[in-house]
Amino acid sequence: MKTNVAFFFGCRSVEHEVSIISAVQAMRAVDREKYDVTPVYVTKDGEMYTGDALFTIEEYRDLPALYKKCRKVFFARNGENVVMKYESKGVFSKAKDVTIDVAFPVVHGTNCEDGTIQGYFEYLGLPYVGCDILSSAVGMDKAVFKDVVKRAGVPVLDCIEIRSREYAQNKEELTQKIVNQIGLPLIVKPVNLGSSVGITKVSDIESFDEAMSLAVSFSDKVLIERAIENLREINCSVLGDADNCEASVCEEPFMNDEILSYEDKYMGGSKSGASKGMASLGRKIPADIPEELSNEIKELSCKIFKAIGANGVVRIDFMLDTAENRVYANEINTIPGSLAFYLWEASGVKYTELLDRMIELAFRRQRGRENLTFTIKTNILSGVSFGSKGAKGAKL
Amino acid sequence: MNILFLISLIVAAVSGIFSLVRQLQMLQQNSYFPSRYSKFVTDTFVVWLCVLAFLFCISSFFYSLDNPFLHIILTAAVLIVRIPLCIKTQKKSIKKLVFTGRIKRLFGAAIIIEALLITLYALLPGLAGEICLVLSLTLSFITPLLCYLVWAVTLPIEKAFGAYYINDAKKILASNKGLKVIGVTGSYGKTTTKFILKRILSEKYNTVCTPGSFNTPMGVVRTVREHLKPHTQIFICEMGAKNVGDIKEICDIASPDMAVITSVGPQHLETFLTVDNVFKTKFELADAVKQKGGRVFVNGDSKEIASRIDNSFSVYGTGENALYRAENISYGAFGSSFDINLGGEIISVKTKLLGMHSIIDIVAAAAVAHSLGVSPEDIKYAVSTLAATEHRLELKSYINGSTLIDDAYNSNPEGCIEAVNVLGSFDGFKKVIITPGLVELGAKEYEYNKNLGFNAAEKCDIIILVGKNRSVPIKDGILEHGFQEEKLFTVSSFAEANALYSTLADKNTVLLIENDLPDNYLN
Repeated sequence: MKTNVAFFFGCRSVEHEVSIISAVQAMRAVDREKYDVTPVYVTKDGEMYTGDALFTIEEYRDLPALYKKCRKVFFARNGENVVMKYESKGVFSKAKDVTIDVAFPVVHGTNCEDGTIQGYFEYLGLPYVGCDILSSAVGMDKAVFKDVVKRAGVPVLDCIEIRSREYAQNKEELTQKIVNQIGLPLIVKPVNLGSSVGITKVSDIESFDEAMSLAVSFSDKVLIERAIENLREINCSVLGDADNCEASVCEEPFMNDEILSYEDKYMGGSKSGASKGMASLGRKIPADIPEELSNEIKELSCKIFKAIGANGVVRIDFMLDTAENRVYANEINTIPGSLAFYLWEASGVKYTELLDRMIELAFRRQRGRENLTFTIKTNILSGVSFGSKGAKGAKL
Repeated sequence: MNILFLISLIVAAVSGIFSLVRQLQMLQQNSYFPSRYSKFVTDTFVVWLCVLAFLFCISSFFYSLDNPFLHIILTAAVLIVRIPLCIKTQKKSIKKLVFTGRIKRLFGAAIIIEALLITLYALLPGLAGEICLVLSLTLSFITPLLCYLVWAVTLPIEKAFGAYYINDAKKILASNKGLKVIGVTGSYGKTTTKFILKRILSEKYNTVCTPGSFNTPMGVVRTVREHLKPHTQIFICEMGAKNVGDIKEICDIASPDMAVITSVGPQHLETFLTVDNVFKTKFELADAVKQKGGRVFVNGDSKEIASRIDNSFSVYGTGENALYRAENISYGAFGSSFDINLGGEIISVKTKLLGMHSIIDIVAAAAVAHSLGVSPEDIKYAVSTLAATEHRLELKSYINGSTLIDDAYNSNPEGCIEAVNVLGSFDGFKKVIITPGLVELGAKEYEYNKNLGFNAAEKCDIIILVGKNRSVPIKDGILEHGFQEEKLFTVSSFAEANALYSTLADKNTVLLIENDLPDNYLN
């Protein structure tokens, strides 16, 4: 009897493919002595499939063919358990329900990583790996994230938040106001996306509008902040929960352009790198920074992790202003690409062990919840007479 | 043979099977032991005798009229009356019949037997048919007989089912490598210890325990099959016993790696006969664990245990003999505070739980958890979150910022004395008790109440008795101790007692409500 871990990946998100790569990597690294793995591929339409073909990355090149090799499934509660049910194809193909012990979401971006899929697991009552609804949601909204960590004493760049409609109705005035307030160059980014999608650096006021229209095509809310001229980006991963967490070594990703772009992050700059995900991105591990700075970043990382109440593995991206020698927390990835395993291997934690610890953390959170009371076992209505006398009969 | 006759026979059978609900309910609540169920049957024997006598009278009357058919019809009518009666009893009972697989099989057997007898009667000529007729009617009339019969007929099937379930549970336990099973037994305190242990172990491990007081072999089997998950790391298994060998039977299934024995006392002596047998049975758990090389934690404060053990046991308690010890115990508005001495390492804890037995249960759980690598910080935190059972030495805030110890559900003499002792140890507080005393204790009732009064007089500053007549024995005890009479009040209801209390309560007052009785006891 092994613990059955269901890996959820794909989903209705712009980072659909990235999620597939991260998940396939993770499913291969799981300790099979201890765990059974059930792959659950969520299509761009939100349908769910399972099947052995999902373990191989090449299969995803031809999706219709892949669907044919898999079976459509859905999830339901059955007494104390959560089961995966197969959509029945006729009377005779009745396959047995599969009990799922824990869910492992390896999804990126909106409609999943932002608390959506976590809400689904909560609703099912299924223990799951990683951040809960609130911390996922906080992590997804870059502006809210800044507010929360700022309160915990973490340095962030001040920003302006602006809504799509607000901007459309009052373009000139707002542009002027923003440029005056923040100064040039500045950065425009959609508030809710990871993987650097939709982010533009604006150096002159004329290109501001173009940057805005790109950003609003991804998100209703847009964030504008000062661009750091002498920028180095430093990332750090944290593993644990709010009670106990540790930071990995720091990394410095190399930038082709001035901002780490989607192509940089996931395509690795070369055509063959596409299937290797974040791990293949040009980067320096550990980052070439003084030990003092690296310790400061690690400390800030743990502070941020606790401030948003994160769980499992996250990656926090910092901006280093080399001119002023100051660090700013930029954003958090509550489900980082490749689960940041390359940072942990460099810190002495093998990928298999990392996954094991993440699953253990999921059970630990579940135990903490079981110690609280959510429902009163007795049915209060059982003692109430509604009766045929109408409203008079009810004695609530 | 007559169609009408056959129909009335069938009606009789149906009503007989229907009445089986009550019998099976009793059989089920006696864990399917016919010997225990028989007690219920003998208790209701007179009723059955009356029913039979009545039926015999009318049947002979109609027989003398030479109208056997009318007789049968009437019989059926009488039997039909049992159906609404039966439904009424079911609706009124607190613990209703649960339609488990076994109960369904028992009903099935009853239906088959009756159907078979009636069919045979219809088909067989002469004496053989007559015998079937008599048998069918007898079983329909006297449902306990039918109950015994179906129990006996289905027994082999049930044994096979039982064996299958037991094997399945063993397989599940064996397939979970690295799983640790902790057996918890004892005459008293095992359920509380189990829940506290589960709470503390949950800090570090995925822990499952037998729910409620599921402590029979089949209860353990059910827990394993329904609750154990592949990622379960510790299974805490409460083991109950009423006979010598009961614990061994559970150990054979669960194969425990560690044991906690909370107490040995004079419990279930009707089946155990001697305390020595209780000891032997409880220590069947120790034997099983020692065979596997595991540790056995025993309560050194239990006299029956302390006098019988050697130094191969891990002893916990409050005395000098204990390796794991509760020290520096004090009570206050926050609850209890004490140090757990784990063989030198000391953890200071605070909990809302009150009373010596709770503290000892916590020490037991802490000792086991510590030996399994749960950190002192985690133990301390888990203990601080423990909540009392409702109305059992439950600590609450009360009128005018005073503190209430709600022990309203306690009705046993030792428990009452312990509650008064807890009240007495609230140093620096004005100590008040409201109690109507104890009831339904038979011949010793006067003595117990007087003793309660004597103890209360020693520990309390103000005593409020409820029920003018019923509190006389307590009063005797109080006055014997020489308590000032102006601090003793007697009222006639709890409402009155509360009103009186609210006039004298303040921030530094602690109130113990001991055993609240329904009004019909109060006079």
